[in-house]
Amino acid sequence: MSTNNMSDPWRPNKVLRFKSPPSECNPALDGPTPDYMNLLGMIFSMCGLMLKLKWCAWVAVSCSFISFANSRSSEDTKQMMSSCMLSVSAVVTSYLQNPQPMTPLW
Amino acid sequence: MKTFYAFCVVLLVFGSVSEAKFDDFEDEEDIVEYDDNDFAEFEDVMEDSVTESPQRVITTEDDEDETTVELEGQDENQEGDFEDADTQDGDTESEPYDDEEFEGYEDKPDTSSSKNKDPITIVDVPAHLQNSWESYYLEILMVTGLLAYIMNYIIGKNKNSRLAQAWFNSHRELLESNFTLVGDDGTNKEATSTGKLNQENEHIYNLWCSGRVCCEGMLIQLRFLKRQDLLNVLARMMRPVSDQVQIKVTMNDEDMDTYVFAVGTRKALVRLQKEMQDLSEFCSDKPKSGAKYGLPDSLAILSEMGEVTEGMMDTKMVHFLTHYADKIESVHFSDQFSGPKIMQEEGQPLKLPDTKRTLLFTFNVPGSGNTYPKDMEALLPLMNMVIYSIDKAKKFRLNREGKQKADKNRARVEENFLKLTHVQRQEAAQSRREEKKRAEKERIMNEEDPEKQRRLEEAALRREQKKLEKKQMKMKQIKVKAM
Repeated sequence: MSTNNMSDPWRPNKVLRFKSPPSECNPALDGPTPDYMNLLGMIFSMCGLMLKLKWCAWVAVSCSFISFANSRSSEDTKQMMSSCMLSVSAVVTSYLQNPQPMTPLW
Repeated sequence: MKTFYAFCVVLLVFGSVSEAKFDDFEDEEDIVEYDDNDFAEFEDVMEDSVTESPQRVITTEDDEDETTVELEGQDENQEGDFEDADTQDGDTESEPYDDEEFEGYEDKPDTSSSKNKDPITIVDVPAHLQNSWESYYLEILMVTGLLAYIMNYIIGKNKNSRLAQAWFNSHRELLESNFTLVGDDGTNKEATSTGKLNQENEHIYNLWCSGRVCCEGMLIQLRFLKRQDLLNVLARMMRPVSDQVQIKVTMNDEDMDTYVFAVGTRKALVRLQKEMQDLSEFCSDKPKSGAKYGLPDSLAILSEMGEVTEGMMDTKMVHFLTHYADKIESVHFSDQFSGPKIMQEEGQPLKLPDTKRTLLFTFNVPGSGNTYPKDMEALLPLMNMVIYSIDKAKKFRLNREGKQKADKNRARVEENFLKLTHVQRQEAAQSRREEKKRAEKERIMNEEDPEKQRRLEEAALRREQKKLEKKQMKMKQIKVKAM
């Protein structure tokens, strides 16, 4: 038995299953980026839709892309998809209403 | 008569031209303006003589679609040219035309004769009428930017995946020889090795290993850089950061003695001392240099007591730390590990957080961000160090003095904690008591039988009186003792 202990570190009877670490520590590690970007994306797409500002809609699309790239594993994809769709619809709607090209802000 | 007809024709041609497409005006910008009186322009024609040829194109009846553009200064010449046109083409022009052709054709009254009075304003063609892609340059820019972001996402994700796979391939053998279970995501019914990494994110990969002597399990987390996010990539160009491998070994309670110890880069230790609950409580001194033990200057030591440092810094450990100093960020052994300090809004938590005997290792992947899959093999000796540390932690035991010191420290920390939370705990107890009273009163109120109600009320009153008496007794006792 003692020789077994020396040579073989395996202990099959002492196997513990993986428990994912509590979700509280994860947000602190990843930072608030995905949440902020999600919120910004929503705000910009609403601005783009209501105020018919094309640049708002484009910024909303980029915000939702950034939020998607930075998303944490615990976040569900439905929220991501809905914000993406909202921003794309903002872009499409502003171009349907006013097909003129965007003028630079400066 | 013929001349008159010619004049009409030319006039009508010019009228139709003014309705022509704007495309035709690309090269020249002037637009001719006419008087209401059709013949106004011809009034001067008879008097003036023909000078030089104009710089404009004269239309003939054959191409009514061609545009006629005149320059500003050439108005006088225009009339002369009319005369020329008339004399040359007058004979041929008048015949094919009759009045019917011009029925319904309205002259353009909106052309006013302001030839030499007001300056002609040159108006640019509005963008939406230009029909060219160039006017949409901002949109094209935005779409290009988004496409670049998507490309970077795909490339970054793939690179992280390749790095993770390379790490796992180089470490697989060592892990499988040491652990029964290599790779588990917790979803399977049975505890079988999945034999692969658990992808949590596009930049975080987990691996759980279990079934070894001394330890409950080992969680390896590959924390890569966010290569899939273009903004992050650009930020990293300013400030290079490394990929990290974090290893957390949970030890069995009987296989590790009670001590807190950390070694690593100075910067990392300072940060850990601020953030980690156990390091801040048990290792209050600043990180000390490890030169005494032969460590390079870049590494420092945080320890609960000198004996632990002495015990930990044996030859092999020093060898590991010296040779791989550039890859080591921090090594943290603790029996009181409970994670980072929890900042609660209501103040201190009411009880001490749960602690676990843990060994934590944080390694930096060489390359400072520009990592290649083959760099992952360089981390294999560090895994050997981890295995060695697990065995060492089992073997290392504090002597009697050390144990006493350690126990005293832990008692001290607990007492401090209780003192700090005393007020909160009192308040919590008070609120609990009030809750109980309220619940009882409600029960009495809800009791429908008046007899029962009366009895319950009496019982509650008696209990209250008893409590009051007890308190009074205690106060008396304290007074007596004080005297």
